[in-house]
Amino acid sequence: MTDVPHTMTDFPLMTVGRGQVRQVWRWRLAAVYAILLIGSFLTIVPFAFTLLSSFKDAEEIRQVPPTFFPTNFTWENYNTVLNDPDVPLPTFYRNSAIVALANVASNLLTSSLFGYIFAKFEFPGKRVLFLFFLAQLMIPFQVTMVPSYLILVRLGLLNNLLGLIVPAALNPFGIFLMRQFMKAIPDELLDAARVDGASEWRIYWQIVLPQLSPALAALGILTFMFNWNAYLWPLIVLTQQDIRTLPIILTWYTNQHANQLHLSMTTAVLVMMPVLFVFVLMQRWIIRGITLTGLKG
Amino acid sequence: MTVFANRLSGRESSKKIFLFTAVSPMVIYMLVFALLPVVWAVLLAFFDYSPQRASSGPLGLGDTNPFIGFQNFQNMISGETFEAQLFRSSLYNTLIFAVLVLPFNLLITIPLAVLIEATHERVKPVFRLIFFFPVVTSSVGVAVMWGFIYHPQNGLLNGFILSLSELLTALGIQPPARQIWLTNARSEIAGIPLSMLAIVIAYLWQDFGYNTIIFIAAIQGIPDIFKEAAAVDGATPWQIFRHITLPLLRPTILLTSVLTMISSFQVFDLIQVMTPNGGPQGQTRVLTIDIYENAFRFQRMGWSAAVALVLFLFVLAITLIQFRLLRSEWEY
Repeated sequence: MTDVPHTMTDFPLMTVGRGQVRQVWRWRLAAVYAILLIGSFLTIVPFAFTLLSSFKDAEEIRQVPPTFFPTNFTWENYNTVLNDPDVPLPTFYRNSAIVALANVASNLLTSSLFGYIFAKFEFPGKRVLFLFFLAQLMIPFQVTMVPSYLILVRLGLLNNLLGLIVPAALNPFGIFLMRQFMKAIPDELLDAARVDGASEWRIYWQIVLPQLSPALAALGILTFMFNWNAYLWPLIVLTQQDIRTLPIILTWYTNQHANQLHLSMTTAVLVMMPVLFVFVLMQRWIIRGITLTGLKG
Repeated sequence: MTVFANRLSGRESSKKIFLFTAVSPMVIYMLVFALLPVVWAVLLAFFDYSPQRASSGPLGLGDTNPFIGFQNFQNMISGETFEAQLFRSSLYNTLIFAVLVLPFNLLITIPLAVLIEATHERVKPVFRLIFFFPVVTSSVGVAVMWGFIYHPQNGLLNGFILSLSELLTALGIQPPARQIWLTNARSEIAGIPLSMLAIVIAYLWQDFGYNTIIFIAAIQGIPDIFKEAAAVDGATPWQIFRHITLPLLRPTILLTSVLTMISSFQVFDLIQVMTPNGGPQGQTRVLTIDIYENAFRFQRMGWSAAVALVLFLFVLAITLIQFRLLRSEWEY
């Protein structure tokens, strides 16, 4: 051991034979995969247990200790849940879909339009407006929840799907995001269209929107998931059964069927399935959207 | 060039019309759905307001819903009323929840991101996909699934303990006892109620994929040359992690810590579904549950708005601390 740096002993990787180095790396990689597989297993088990339990009958679900795989595989629970007159699932799917899709449409429209305006135009009051949007990002929903409810009461939008759509039409986060993307688009592109005589709305519609489409795709999917999964605000706005969205129905159903876990789990599978399906199809966009935006779902 | 400029300046009026038609509806909308709720929320906190009492004043405030100044806030700090005690225990539980979630989240997500980055390009997306599943699942779905796992008789966890205990007894080891995970007020670990711990675990399970993705993106942003240089100098993977990756992740760690902290301060769905009405003896009652119940079950909206303002102050404080810490960051 000498104090002189850069002798061979300072390079432990090089002092052993190449084969040995590869051996060490191979063990390390095996350990990495082992940990990741255990992690994956722990992530999947709750889903698997729920899914498998939806195929068990009433007797098996009460077994102690519980079985993991169903011994008497049955589709009967799906029959029961889907034909339960108290739980018209198609209606609730429709409610959830209306809210989620309407909010995606309105948020994409307003975010792109005002993101564009904040990035490319000057007008009096712009700074104040923009600062207000930024401030809104910092205010927790819990603060405005009660007054927003009181406003809906006065507008007569309680127990109306519009109560979940109208107050959500402007998304400060989406506007901020689109503004960032819009800044990267050169002014020359817009001015060229102006010289060619395109109207301002046509420039927005035919030049700005296509330019923003990757960012809009990410924002759209995240908005859809956020609305599809939303619980607290729909719980406040929708108090009548037939107008409710899926997450509220799921809690209502599990409370009603506390002693029939096989039916609760079947409903849980039916409620969770669509969004997981969308996720598998679009995971590339979703993950890109989240790393791009830092948006919390 | 001048012709070009003239044509553009001739467009100024059409630009103004465009701005006017787009911005003025937005401003009106914002006044009603963004500014009014904030102003109203602040006002409510200083009134004894209940929607059950009709009042002729503006926004239903005044006469039957009187102005009470800072009384709500004084009550929160030193009041002996039932709602004041509930508020203080909710605040305490929220702090416990947030303080438990953050370190465990970071301890899981940072190593996980490093490990995923160490795998082959082809399998990376697969792991990312799996770990992200819980994040996109509705939190109500997560709560229902975990409620079943924690079920005292038919749940997976107690079933696992039961199966394990035969094996452990055979080996002469004292097996862990089966638990009533969510509804027993008397069981605790290190002074923290068991129901709270059970919810923290479910929350971590739901949430860890999110920060993992953020850290993966941050690690990919670190130039390879740093790690390669260290590897050539003979650094072990641990040394590379400790002295290169971790310091360069510092800004990201700060940011995710703040976001994680803020969102755990606002937790509602999991707790409301898994332990309705704040759990055994209110042991899992957090601020958002307190706000929700006061406003919509007990119709005490003034009090509820005051509690929401306190929640806001905590979120604001966390954000400001983050800005202070981030100011002294370096670039690479």
